[in-house]
Amino acid sequence: MTFEMGEETREVQGTWDISTYKYLIDGAGMKLLVDSMKEKKIRGIKCPQCETVYVPGPTFCRKCYIDIDEVVEIGETGVVMSYAVEMADVRGNPLEEFRLTAMIKLDGADTWIIGTISGMDWHDARIGMRVKAFWVDEPVGSLADIDRFEAI
Amino acid sequence: MRNVGIIGVGYTPVFVSKRKDVNIPEMISEAVDAAFRNTKLTPDDIDAITFGNMQTFEGVNMPHLWAADHMRALDKPYMRIATGGTTGMSTLHSAYYHVASGLHDVVMAITWEKQSEGDSQVGLSGIVMPEAMVMVQHGMDLFGGKGMGAMGGGSTGAAAYQAMSYLHHSGADPEHIDKMAALERSNAALNPYAHLRKKTTVADIQATPFVSWPLRFGHTCPTSDGATVAIVASEEMVEKLADSVAWINGVGCATSDPATVNFIEGQITDPAEQEPARMASSKAYAMAGIKDPSKEIDMAEMYNGFAHQSLMWLEKLGLCKEGEAHKMLDAGALNIDGELPTNASGGVFSTNAIGASAMNRPTECALQIMRKIEGGHQIPKKIKNAVSHGWGGMFQYVTVTVLGDEPRHGQG
Ligand SMILES: [Zn+2]
Repeated sequence: MTFEMGEETREVQGTWDISTYKYLIDGAGMKLLVDSMKEKKIRGIKCPQCETVYVPGPTFCRKCYIDIDEVVEIGETGVVMSYAVEMADVRGNPLEEFRLTAMIKLDGADTWIIGTISGMDWHDARIGMRVKAFWVDEPVGSLADIDRFEAI
Repeated sequence: MRNVGIIGVGYTPVFVSKRKDVNIPEMISEAVDAAFRNTKLTPDDIDAITFGNMQTFEGVNMPHLWAADHMRALDKPYMRIATGGTTGMSTLHSAYYHVASGLHDVVMAITWEKQSEGDSQVGLSGIVMPEAMVMVQHGMDLFGGKGMGAMGGGSTGAAAYQAMSYLHHSGADPEHIDKMAALERSNAALNPYAHLRKKTTVADIQATPFVSWPLRFGHTCPTSDGATVAIVASEEMVEKLADSVAWINGVGCATSDPATVNFIEGQITDPAEQEPARMASSKAYAMAGIKDPSKEIDMAEMYNGFAHQSLMWLEKLGLCKEGEAHKMLDAGALNIDGELPTNASGGVFSTNAIGASAMNRPTECALQIMRKIEGGHQIPKKIKNAVSHGWGGMFQYVTVTVLGDEPRHGQG
């Protein structure tokens, strides 16, 4: 006896709701950062041993594996380490307005953050370019308190 | 440790966007059957099995266990490996460890992905979800792109930072990415187990839109359905069972801290630095007795979800000096008949059944060494030493396997 095999397997739709997961996050360094942003400052944590400055800061040095808690203030200017120009969204649909984003090393920090750079033609963007953070008028202690970066 | 070799490889008959005619275990079993057919072994010859695919990409847990019978795994030691993009090679390494340790003699490594049944963007989101959650909670406009944050463009967005940094430090032009893409797609056209099989020119690549500058749609890999199986054996069993073999002479793997979207704790690593590639490859070369990889390695299979990466990896794996890979490309050295044929298979860039992608690199090397390549991409010169590479994690995990036509050892 033989089975009749179909051309195609049957397909059923399924969804997996990850919004029901509960992610517990140790946000000590992130809290330090957003609290400082309320004052239009950027603060990170420095390792006393290797002197690496992290923004946002972890509670331990990722190079020395020791606990760290020395708060340091860092600059609102920095240098572009790499950049990209978003021309399509995550699903590949073209964006109406291109967006220049960069990995920025703020002065005094060893870490790189990602920021949006406004006010320039993306063709003129360069690695090594200096940029400055511009704040919203009334910061509330949120990552959105930095409105944009601009080349200086 | 004892000598261990790959004695046979099995692929699904095709790697394509959608296998609608088979379900997951049916598809994988095609590659398992092919491996048995190609080696003339039977399930009784296999002592243990390792199994790998991506976490969450198909939305299924423990696929190795519910597909155990399809894998011919009943009554055998059996474990699943899931290390991200490197899964395929980690699964092979696990099989290697099983045999090199002396605990088992013949081990089958099974790797696969059936991306059409899942959603790779959801799978990737699962990796960064806690990060993304904390960023949103602290006011970041994730995809709107205001101020601090913004990681639009998914993995292509993150890869674009890497590509730009690579271009800056190497002195290569964006056109070199187009050229590498065209070379690999044209290689894939010769490979019956490649997914995108069309002879491609630089102009074809340049006609595709940019996703995230400097990366175009034509620089990105497809999502594929397919499976790959390798059977590894101890030297003693190679002599008893095999008509040909490619020796696993060196293995290495290493990680740095996350080199992308490590926002909660601050990212300290340039995504194009890839120190783990140096560490993993140094270890593997030392084990394989290779002193100068730029002279002793005859072919390379690099893991490249994006077309700039083949060039970047050649430098990071010591196959040329920094800033030299694009010059080798221009000189034709990376062609199938060149000095250092690179991704003769077409690479991950042309075929990406993710869980199998880092396995297809060493299996391609093995078949090139055995001169058992099907299709038109057999490298004409004799291959003594080959290097294969896997990459993934949070842009920071690298695996390397050095294969050879003879067992070779150094001080590894
Ligand atoms: Zn330290």
